[in-house]
This record gives sequence, C-alpha cells and structure tokens, in this order.
Amino acid sequence: MTVSLSRVESRLKVTGGAVFAADNVATAYGYLVTSTIALGTVTAMDATAALAAPGVLAVYTPFNPLKLFGYGDNSTDETAPVLQDNGVRYNGQVIGMVVADTFEHARDAASLIAPTYDVKPGNVDFAAGVATATPTSSPVAEVLAPGVTSIDAALAASDVTVSAVYTTPHQHHNPMEPHAAVAVWTDDRLTLYTATQGVMNVVSHMARALGVDQSKVHVVNPYVGGAFGGKIGNWAHVPLAAAAARALGRPVKVALTREQTFAVSGHRPPSHQTVTLGAAKDGTLVAIKHEGVSGKSQSGPSMENVANQSLTTYASPNLHVTRAFVPLDVSAMTPMRAPGETHGAFALESAMDELAFKLGMDPLALRQKNYAVKVPNSGNPWSSKHLDECYTAGASAFGWDKRNPVPGSVRDGDWLVGLGTATATYPASRSKSTIKVRLQADGTAVVSGTGADLGTGQFTVFAILGAQALGIPAGSIVPELGDSSLPVATPAGGSTSTSSNGPAVLAAADAAKAALIAQAATNPASPFNGKTPTYANGMVSADGVSMSFGSLLTAMDLPAVEGTSSLPSGTTKGYGYLSFGAHFCEVRVNRWTGEPRVSRWLTVIDAGTIVNEKTARSQVLGAVVMGIGGALLEDSRVEPDTGRYAGANMAAYLVPVNADIPHVDVQFLNYPDTVFSPLGARGLGELGIVGVAGAVANAVHNATGKRVRDLPITLDKLL
Amino acid sequence: MRGFGYGAAASVRQALTQGGDGTSYLAGGTTLVDLMKLEVMTPAHVVDINSLPLRGIQCTPAGLRIGALERMADVAVHHEVASRWSMVATALRLSASPQLRNMASIGGNLLQRTRCDYFRDVRMPCNKRKPGSGCPAVNGANRTHAVLGTSASCVATHASDLAVALVALDASIRLQDRHGQRVVRLADFYRLPGDTPAVENQLRPGELITEVIVPACDWPQAYVKVRDRTSYEFALASAAVAVDVHRGVVRDARIAVGGVGTRPWRLPATEEALRGKPATEESYLEAAKLAVVGAKPLGDNAFKLPLVQRTIARALAGAR
Amino acid sequence: MAGSVSRRGFLGGAAAASVAGTVAWAPGRAWADPVPPARIRLSVNGKPYELDADPGVTLLDALRERIGLTGTKKGCDRGQCGACTVHVDGRRVVSCLTLAITCVGKNVTTIEGIADGDALHPVQQAFVDCDGFQCGFCTSGQIMSAVEVVSDRSVHTDDDIREAMSGNICRCGAYSNIVDAVKQARGEK
Ligand SMILES: Cc1cc2nc3c(=O)[nH]c(=O)nc-3n(C[C@H](O)[C@H](O)[C@H](O)COP(=O)(O)OP(=O)(O)OC[C@H]3O[C@@H](n4cnc5c(N)ncnc54)[C@H](O)[C@@H]3O)c2cc1C
Ligand code: SF4
Ligand code: FES
Ligand code: FES
Repeated sequence: MTVSLSRVESRLKVTGGAVFAADNVATAYGYLVTSTIALGTVTAMDATAALAAPGVLAVYTPFNPLKLFGYGDNSTDETAPVLQDNGVRYNGQVIGMVVADTFEHARDAASLIAPTYDVKPGNVDFAAGVATATPTSSPVAEVLAPGVTSIDAALAASDVTVSAVYTTPHQHHNPMEPHAAVAVWTDDRLTLYTATQGVMNVVSHMARALGVDQSKVHVVNPYVGGAFGGKIGNWAHVPLAAAAARALGRPVKVALTREQTFAVSGHRPPSHQTVTLGAAKDGTLVAIKHEGVSGKSQSGPSMENVANQSLTTYASPNLHVTRAFVPLDVSAMTPMRAPGETHGAFALESAMDELAFKLGMDPLALRQKNYAVKVPNSGNPWSSKHLDECYTAGASAFGWDKRNPVPGSVRDGDWLVGLGTATATYPASRSKSTIKVRLQADGTAVVSGTGADLGTGQFTVFAILGAQALGIPAGSIVPELGDSSLPVATPAGGSTSTSSNGPAVLAAADAAKAALIAQAATNPASPFNGKTPTYANGMVSADGVSMSFGSLLTAMDLPAVEGTSSLPSGTTKGYGYLSFGAHFCEVRVNRWTGEPRVSRWLTVIDAGTIVNEKTARSQVLGAVVMGIGGALLEDSRVEPDTGRYAGANMAAYLVPVNADIPHVDVQFLNYPDTVFSPLGARGLGELGIVGVAGAVANAVHNATGKRVRDLPITLDKLL
Repeated sequence: MRGFGYGAAASVRQALTQGGDGTSYLAGGTTLVDLMKLEVMTPAHVVDINSLPLRGIQCTPAGLRIGALERMADVAVHHEVASRWSMVATALRLSASPQLRNMASIGGNLLQRTRCDYFRDVRMPCNKRKPGSGCPAVNGANRTHAVLGTSASCVATHASDLAVALVALDASIRLQDRHGQRVVRLADFYRLPGDTPAVENQLRPGELITEVIVPACDWPQAYVKVRDRTSYEFALASAAVAVDVHRGVVRDARIAVGGVGTRPWRLPATEEALRGKPATEESYLEAAKLAVVGAKPLGDNAFKLPLVQRTIARALAGAR
Repeated sequence: MAGSVSRRGFLGGAAAASVAGTVAWAPGRAWADPVPPARIRLSVNGKPYELDADPGVTLLDALRERIGLTGTKKGCDRGQCGACTVHVDGRRVVSCLTLAITCVGKNVTTIEGIADGDALHPVQQAFVDCDGFQCGFCTSGQIMSAVEVVSDRSVHTDDDIREAMSGNICRCGAYSNIVDAVKQARGEK
C-alpha cells in the first residue's frame, strides 16, 4: 500500500507560522568578526571605537574572550573552541563578536574593528598538494582474485582499459536558512534555539563548552531551514551566543550572514581521483582501481573518503581503492549530502561511461553486465537489491533505447542533445533510537523523539507510522521532535532517520498498546476490568464491548498511558546494506555558446519500504537538484594568497534556480527490506544525489563528444 | 551601514537642491541599499527620488523616451517597446529577478556598480572603491571579469544588460543639475577605468538622470545573454544586435557586447566588416573575430574571447 | 511629523512629500554621528504599526525584529535569494533591499497576510497539495512570488513559470513541485 500524505506541518510552513531558530526573540544581537588571513595570529584588535558605537553592549575578542571549554572531540565540530587563543587557522575564522541592542548596531560596530595580524604562509592549494598527499590510517582496501599478484597486473591482463583523472571543487551546503542561535538563560538554565540536525549533540557539546551540567541545557529546534550535513556541527556562533547571553544577562541572537556561512559552517572538500578500469572485450570488468585524494582541513577532524563505493558498486574480481588527503589551512569541513559518494560516483560513473564508449557498448548494458549479485568486496549477500529493475524500468520509462550512441549526432535547433545514465548507491544503517508513544484521553496520540525534520518529512513519518501501528487516522497523531526534552531518537544524518526511528515508532506503539491493555484489564474503573481486552484500530474490546482508547482513558480518569521503546543500532551481520537507484537524463548544449542545460530527468529508486511517497519523492527530487548544481554550477575557489573563498555569496556561488530544473520524474520500487528492519525502509535522503554528476557528464559527452572530468561542467569547458 | 540622513524629494528642483557631494539619490535601492549595507557606498545623506515625476514610456515614430524612474519590469512588458525595441525588452527581461525588476529603475540600472566580488568586500583592496589600494582581481579570481577596456588598475565589467542594448541603439540620456540640462550619448557617458577606476561615468555630483532617449530602429534585433545559470545571474557575455538584411546581404548592423568590457562595448569594426557581406553564419563568425582585437584575457577568463564571438554570431543569426 | 526634522533640516521621519528640502547641510558627516531614529508608520497586512528606527533599517529587519512578523525570512540579505519576498502596493519585492522608511504610506503584504482567516490562499493550498517545499524556509518568499505569477498574464508555459519563479532559490530543490503548485493555483492542473 502506498501512502502519500501532505506534510503534517504544511499549514505552518505556508503561513509563515513555523518558528525557525532566528525567529525567536532576543533583546541583544551578536555580530561576528572573522579573520581575513589564512594562517597566523591576531596581534591586536582595538575594540575602542566599536565599544563607543551606539547600542553596543560588549565586544569579545581573543584578548577579551568569553571562557569556553574545548568541545571538539572526534566529531564534526572544530577542534579548537572559538576565541580561546589568538591563532588564525583559516580565512573567515571567527575572531570576535560584537553584541548590541539591535542587529544593525552590532553589524555597524563590527565594521569598526580592524584586527592586525602576524601572517604566516598558509597551505591552501589543494591541487598543489595532491602529489604529496598523506595516506589515511587505512590507506588501501584491496580484493584480488586467486593468483592475481597486484591490481596493476590485473589491469595489464585486461583486454581494454580506461584510466583518467577526475577532479571536483570545494562545495558549500548553502541551506536557505543561514545558521542562527538564540540563547536564553533563566537562572542557571539555558534554553538554546539553534539550527541543528541533532539537538542532543548540541546539549552535550554546549554543556561542555559552557562548563554546565547537561541537565541545565535545553535545546529547541523543531523547524530547520535545510541542513544537508552543515548543521551537524556546533559552529562558533552557538557557544558565543550562549556565553554572551550568560555574561550579559539577556537573551542574545546570533545569525551568520550568508557570506559568513561559507567559512564558519563547513563545506565539502575538493577531490582528485584516478579511476582505472580493466575489462574483457565483452565488457566484463576485470579490475577497478580507484585512487582517491581529498582535501582536509587542519582545524577539524572530519574528512571524506571518495573512492570507497568502487568497492561495492560493480562486480569485479579485482578491486583496489586508496585513500589519502591533502592537509589544508582552510575552514573545517563537514559532511555534505552523501559525503564521499557524491564526488566518488562522479568519477566511477564517468569512467564506466568512458569504458562503454571505448568498448562500443551501451553504457546501461555495461552496468547490467557487471551487476553485483553479491557484495563485491565481501561476497556477502545483499539484504535486498532490485537495482536491475531500476535499470530496466527506468530505461523503458525514459526511452533509453532511442539514445543515439554516436556523440554529437542529435540536434534540436541550436541545441545538441545527449542522454546519460548512472547508478546511485548509498549505505543503509540503523542507529540507536528511543521513541515514546503516548495515548491520550482526548483520543490523540503523541509520537515523540529528539530527531530532526530538516525538510525530510520526519514529522509526517512519525504521524504515518504512529497511525498505522495504532490503527487510527494520521490526523490523530501529534508528532513531536527537535526538542532535547524528548526521548533520545536518531538525529538527522547519514540518511538514518526513518530507518532508525521508523521501527522504534512501531515498537513504541506496541508498548503503548500493551500499557493500555494492562490498565484496561486491571484498573477498577475500567469496563474491561478482569477481562482480557484486545486493541485494534483505536478501540479496546472484550466480550462484544468496544470502546475507543480515548473514552476508556477518560472512564479510568487517566490523562494518558505511555509506551517507550528503544531499539539498538546495527543490523544483522553477514549482509550488505545499500540503497540503490538509477538516473537517466537528457542534457542540451548550445552549439554556439556551450551552455549545458538539463532538459529531462528520471530517477528510479530501490530504498526498501517507502513510508510516505509524497515526501520521499521530494527528498529524491531535491537531491537530484543539488546534484545538478554540483554537476553544472557549484564551485568555491580558494584564493592562493589569502585562503579566502572567492565569491562567498549566493550571486557568485551558483546553486540551481527554478529555470535550471526540468520536470524531475521519480519512481519507487517499494520492496520492503525485512532483513534490514521490520519496517523494511532503508535510507533515502542522500542516495538521490549520488551519480547525478556522472549522469550529467555522460549526457554531455553523448551530446557533444566532449568528456569533462573536472566539475563543474561549465560552458567554458564546452566551447 | 554607516549612519545617514534620509529625506524624500517632492520635485526635481527640490531633489537637485538636496543633491551633491556625499549625497546619493535613492531610486529602487537595489544597488544603493545593497552597497550601503556592505559599506561600499557610504553616503551621508540619501535623497529618495521616487516621488519625482520622472515617469512615462513614450513611443513615437522618431523613437522611445523612458522616464528614469520607470521600473525595469514595466518597461520589459511594455507592448510597443517589446515589439519595436525588442533588444531592450529582452535585455530587461533577462536581468536580475522579477522582484528586483519590480523595484529597480531604468536610471538606477545605468548607474549600478560592478559586481566584482573584491569591490563588494570592503576588507579587500580595490582601486575602484579605495583608490590606490590595489586590484586583487588582476591576479585573483577573475572568471567573470572583463577582457576589453581593462587597465592595470581595474578589470571589472560593467554589469548592466540594459546599457548594452542602449549603446547598440545609440541611445542618449538626459541629465539635469542645478545649472541646467544636457543630453549625453550613453556610449560616451561611461569612462574606461584607466588609472582612475573610481570615476565610472560623466555624472556630476548632484546630477540626475531624468530620461533615456532611444532612436527608432526597425531592423530585426536580438539580445543574447550567456551565463552559467539559466536565470538570476549576470552575463558572462551578452550581445545586443540590430541587423538590416536585404536579399540575403547585410546592409548595416549595430552591435554592442556586455559581460566582457569595463563598459558596455560597441563594436564599430565588426559592424563595418558586416556591411555588404552575405547574411550567413560564416560571415557573422568572421566579422565577430574583430570584436576581440586588443582584448586582454586574464588567468580565468580567456574563454570569453571565443565566447563573445560566438555570442555575437548567435545573436545575429537569431535577430528577429 | 513635526519636530522630527534633524538639525540639518533633514527629516528623520517619513511622510515623503512633506519634506522641506531647501535647507543646505554640510556633507561628509562622520558616520558615527547619531541620526535620531525616525518614527516610521507602516501598514502591514492592513494593520498599522509604528516603530522607531534608523532610516537604514530594512523592511525585512523591521518586519522580523521590530514588528514580530517572522514569516518573512532572511536568506542572504543581498537580494540574491528571494526568501524575503513581500508585496509592497501589490508588487513583489525583496524586503532586504527595501528601506522600511520608504514604505510609509504604502501597503505591505507578507505571508501572514494572504490567508482569509482559516482558509488558506489558493496558492498556499496548492503548495501544500503539491509538496512545494521541504524545509519551508524559502516558502514564504516562493508563495509571495507565486501569488503574483498566478495572475501574471505574460506567463503561459511551464518554462514561463520556471523563469517567473527563478527569483526564489530553493536549496531543498522543490522546483518541480513549485511549478506544479503554480499550475494548480492557475487552474491548469
Ligand atoms: C542579485 C542581483 C542581481 C542582479 N542582476 C542583474 C542583471 O542580471 N542585469 C542587470 O542589468 N542588472 C542586474 N542587477 C542590478 C540591478 O538591475 C540594479 O541594481 C538596478 O537596476 C539599480 O536600479 P535601482 O533603481 O534599484 O537603483 P538604486 O540602487 O536606487 O541606485 C543606483 C545608483 O544610481 C543612483 N541613481 C538612481 N537613480 C538615479 C537617477 N535618476 N539619477 C541619478 N542618480 C540615480 C543612485 O544614487 C545609486 O548610486 C542585479 C541586482 C541584484 C541585487
Ligand atoms: S577589478 Fe576593479 S573593482 Fe575589482 S578589485 Fe580590481 S579595481 Fe576593484
Ligand atoms: S534575503 Fe532578501 S533576497 Fe535573500
Ligand atoms: S523548502 Fe527548503 S529551501 Fe525551499
């Protein structure tokens, strides 16, 4: 049965009523001061003029800091807490904050601070460091067929090989909501409204930063204006807002400017990948060698492994993946939608297309030929895999058979037209999740947990699954999330929200039903006292008597009964767990001026059970759009002299606008993966971006004969 | 933003008495308010001119007059402008976004400042904003910068689309200050950066643009704007063309290009080369070669040389 | 507005045409020289509001931080995203580049002002039905734009709708659904 329900919070979102972090009220405003050098120290920051400016309440600098304890454990946060030393580790680092009575006063006073620096040469050039990249702690993953001595030997023994270097730039998440935090202290208790993918992560890290017990920190953030990984970290403005509010004894709001978000709130690092494929004449892969190098910030622990999915995407007896990084004096990186897979798949999927072209084979047929029936690097079975059906269903719906294999041969007016395809894969996993279901006397049921809805549809998933498990209408469910006072559910990240919280909702509903039945059978005021009542579809029944749970609770004079369930992380060992998909696209390139434009798109998804087709479709649609941005537009250049992101704003860092995006068709196979979980739903949020850039690049090649191996594919590369 | 005094003028005369050094006129505000927030522009006083009667779109056989305070959106959809000066309407329609076009005035559009990202970041040097501080764009991120009319001091493009079409059409603007009025050809109005990139045009302190005067042109026209994103972006290259073709032969042409020059760039040599040539792709591409004579590519923008030539040819081939 | 004329004869106040503009004033005032906040009277969604603010305060910040109407969002503060779109006298504009003081005597309409009591505006309903959003942050601006597009007679095709909606960036990528929503509200679906 397919469910397609409008978001339960729709009404709030279309009326302006959904309260985002920066919508909360404060009486003071913080404005950040950021560094303009890549590496060195701040030698002085004269705050006199700023302090004398109208409305200014305080100026904090490394020389007059707010005390913060380090909280950057091995997570996505920066290693060093803000303002606690005068070191500058990257351009755009927060080195001060002005607090004033209005936003304008804070902003204008901040411009009066002119820091002086002791500048050291920074290492910001990724390309220059590739040759001497540092191997990671697990530098090589390799599978060799019996008797094969090395991956290069396997390649040498192949009938056909292709080998090429693929490069990708720094990319920035740019959720439409710039990060913001509003901190309100009541005595020694902090309420923090902050844009985050996980309120508990804020609680633990900010309690630590501020030196208070976790029980004193309450984090509230039901509505998040997009995140894509960029709101996992507790960036500098969060502890500063909290510490300033404590110091000044009044609520403080700090919102990053759009420009500041580029350096302050993480990014996807650049990559340099060499992919070498060896195949037999009939297209059977003999060897895949994928050497991945990524940039890594010196100021945070997070990093990407770009080559990994070559271990699990296509069947090949010989696999070889390397991982290395270039340490850079740039801002901290943080996961960005399918970190590793997005850039990695661009390289692998392009290489597959290059191989198909060299073999004179249809690129989809090549993928089908090398279909991985078992997990390529382990030989384990898949929990559930219907990628083959994604290929065939997609090909027929899209009209793939009409593709002309000769590049540059299809023209429509001034536009050269090409088709491309690529595979999408993304790991599925489950994290620990606790959910509470509360059956209430008014006939409603509250489903609650600390998870986050970044636009993912998690609220609606809670409502749908709560409704299914309790047999009542979704409209009778009150979903709650994004509040640290709720049971600890899985935060948003790694496409694990529904896969982890979904089964926990079902289990918690069972627990609530059991609690209700126990009450019904034993409560002296219950009409079912002493009987063996049963629960079905919101009704409790025994001996021909039936009562809604609301009436029963009212009769027993109980406001509610609750059931809570915790499900552990992890899945059954011995299986491979991936979500799958296939992309098909049509791209047009202007024959005069080279602009590439996507004109048709279809993605077919195999991600297990689809809990809500409507919001799931939007997840895939959004991922494809972001993928098209990465393929054609997005590019943050780091300036060699200053380490500054050139064009750190929304007019220069181009993300797609409406006119860039054609109708995007999304189809779901909807096969429950019961090995993965009783619910059968694997992850979905990130899967859709994987392979998009490859599909676009392949279509561009089909349209023009030009193979662009360096993202983004801009018109200058097609002239 | 720096503090400033605000006043609204009720008449041209009142505006002119209030205008002068240190004062900025406020029309749509889409350049001024933006740059004031960035502290790139720091007027001590702002005079709101939106109540002035500088309105009206008049089409006569001789030409077109547009009041300086007409909004880009309204001019773009004006029926007669769209049919008789289609390159103007198209240039406007492909500019900015619908919201910005509802706000932005024709006069303001011609006076918008460059989008060079160093110019817009006050923490960076920039000769245009802070004379003598240097030009980081010359050796920096300069993919969007100019290849024509540049100097060692500044390589920023003039960002207006409208101005490109107007320069192709030989339009003029009427200027007025306390001492009187004058009419200046738009092509002469803009200055090359030379050693003084801060001086962008001939406008005197306190002077108002009151109207734009566009001669009639009944030749087929086109405005082609090439950019990475399909919409809501400035031009990497653009071409405004009007071409008079008779029996397959080009009798005359008017061509200006944008996105490549430090001011809207008229191309007399290309126009001349087209005269008497067959109206074919080959002759368009051949004549377009002259567009880049003397062009100076920078580190990231050499592609603009072939791009602008093809943009011109595409526009000529598409003129309707 | 008598009494709000600053010492340079310049009105910190609002009523546009009533400014006496004949008093000369010395240019080049130091930036920190305080300009007295003006009393700004605004009509938003048909209701009157009064606030004291510097003339540099944008309509966006006035709405969000002073009037308390936070449905209008700040995505960039530079006219580059459309999240702050509102209507001034019935035309969509970006409120981040509009000075509040220039809206005196005009009608400002925000996302909070388009529903008819409990009944959603047809465009709001279409966004719900078509899932024209995900996180909802760009949505107020998208809807305010779409309200204009729905009655725009120069818009005919899907591509026209895409172009007319291109001043509103949605990083969640709800574009296809937004086009569907506009079509539904135009009665085309
Ligand atoms: C995100 C973004 C994208 C854009 N994209 C494009 C684009 O693609 N193509 C394009 O052409 N433009 C584009 N623009 C620029 C936009 O068109 C201009 O900002 C606008 O036209 C300026 O007009 P305005 O009325 O708002 O001017 P204002 O901001 O009010 O004024 C601009 C300047 O002109 C002065 N001024 C205004 N009117 C007069 C007058 N009558 N007499 C004397 N001085 C006057 C002001 O003092 C000020 O110095 C974009 C702008 C933004 C913010
Ligand atoms: S190109 Fe011109 S505007 Fe840009 S930094 Fe150089 S001097 Fe300034
Ligand atoms: S906030 Fe106004 S356009 Fe982005
Ligand atoms: S719905 Fe999130 S940015 Fe549009």
